[in-house]
Amino acid sequence: MSKEACIIKGNKNGLSISIPGEMEFNEVLTQLKVRLASAEQFFEGAAVHVTADNRELEPEEKHQLERTVREFGMVIQEPPVRVDGIEEHQREKHLEEEEEDTLLLRRTIRSGQKIKYDGNIVILGDVNPGAEVVCSGDILVLGSLRGVAHAGCNGNVSASVFAFRLEPTQLRIANYISRSPDEKLPKPLGPEMARVSENIIQISAYS
Amino acid sequence: MGKAIVITSGKGGVGKTTAAANIGTGLAQIGKKVCLVDADIGLRNLDVVMGLENRIVYDLIDVVEGYCRVRQAMIKDKRFDTLYLLPAAQTREKDAVNPDQMGKLITELKQDFDYVIIDCPAGIEQGFKNATSGADMAIVVTTPEVSAVRDADRIVGLLEAQELYDPYLVINRLRPDMVRKGDMMNTEDMIDILAIRLLGVVPDDESIIVSTNRGEPAVLDKRSQSGQAFRNIVRRLEGVEVPFMHLENNSMVQRFMRLIGIGGKS
Repeated sequence: MSKEACIIKGNKNGLSISIPGEMEFNEVLTQLKVRLASAEQFFEGAAVHVTADNRELEPEEKHQLERTVREFGMVIQEPPVRVDGIEEHQREKHLEEEEEDTLLLRRTIRSGQKIKYDGNIVILGDVNPGAEVVCSGDILVLGSLRGVAHAGCNGNVSASVFAFRLEPTQLRIANYISRSPDEKLPKPLGPEMARVSENIIQISAYS
Repeated sequence: MGKAIVITSGKGGVGKTTAAANIGTGLAQIGKKVCLVDADIGLRNLDVVMGLENRIVYDLIDVVEGYCRVRQAMIKDKRFDTLYLLPAAQTREKDAVNPDQMGKLITELKQDFDYVIIDCPAGIEQGFKNATSGADMAIVVTTPEVSAVRDADRIVGLLEAQELYDPYLVINRLRPDMVRKGDMMNTEDMIDILAIRLLGVVPDDESIIVSTNRGEPAVLDKRSQSGQAFRNIVRRLEGVEVPFMHLENNSMVQRFMRLIGIGGKS
């Protein structure tokens, strides 16, 4: 391999894959596949955006790239909107001092989909039964949470799970685990928050 | 050493998972040690039908990949202490496991259980090969539809190729009224084509939809006709000769007699 076909980098917004300008598209695609396959599930659930250096991607090429990336379990994310260079730099610095990264997803997470992220996750949509959301920080679902949520997966006991409608199959916070009761419960009427207190996961109305 | 039975059909939606849940639960009901294995990686359902979805922490793939021990992934049933479920992974695909690994896993489970019931995915690809590897015998489920019977025939051939000879047949969702009118294939037609041993005929039954949605297998419902059919299937598996239910020539008089308890075995 004389030249790397693609450079995979991690940044604030998840992963970015950049494609060199001069290489033949098919070659880029094969090399990308080899790269991702060798990493096995390392990238699974990661948010990613694809950028091309000095080249215009045809819609078909773009589509093919996105499909490849999805095949390896990654979630496509639109590239971040560039504000002013200096301003962005300052903002990043400010965030770093304050807390972890946050992944924002504007979609429904469906059965069989697993979102894994090192940081917080905010979902503008629902998490359906059979879906899994795992992160090292907090989970906020601005919708219904019916799947499995694992907050503070690296052992952060103070992590919390928030949802407009909190009806999870299972809740996990750090090493604590709790499941929904077997008998049907009345639907929650408002936003609720789950956190660990007195060594169990407790849910309370959020106000 | 127990027996591993794979429940398969080729066609989707004929009731493999329902059959697996009911046969497994029925066997546990008569005191057998049973492990249900969901081999439908990526489209798991058996956990939902058994009402155990909220207990899943580890799954079959975690076991195969060595992240946990089999015991850790097995979920004990709510109703029976001798019934366990080994759930499939939902966030993975069929190729996450291979027939060799499945074979080893099933052999391991057979040491501890009287029956290992494997719920096979629809189709004849990798998932089918995984599910059938390690099985000692097969139950083919079909419905009285030409397409389902055609697929069942294909499956019987493929099972033979996997050295699973002489499978059992379960006919699901039979509607006696339609058979009487000649609008639906009858049992004889199907046995004629498939030429395999009939294990049971399960009538079309609204209550099974209710029980499936509730996560309570119909076999536990004493009043359910389909539950009765599954109880009979379980006894036949245990070697008891049970006469078949008289579904196809069910007159009002017979039904009434059964209702007041003098109709004999159904």
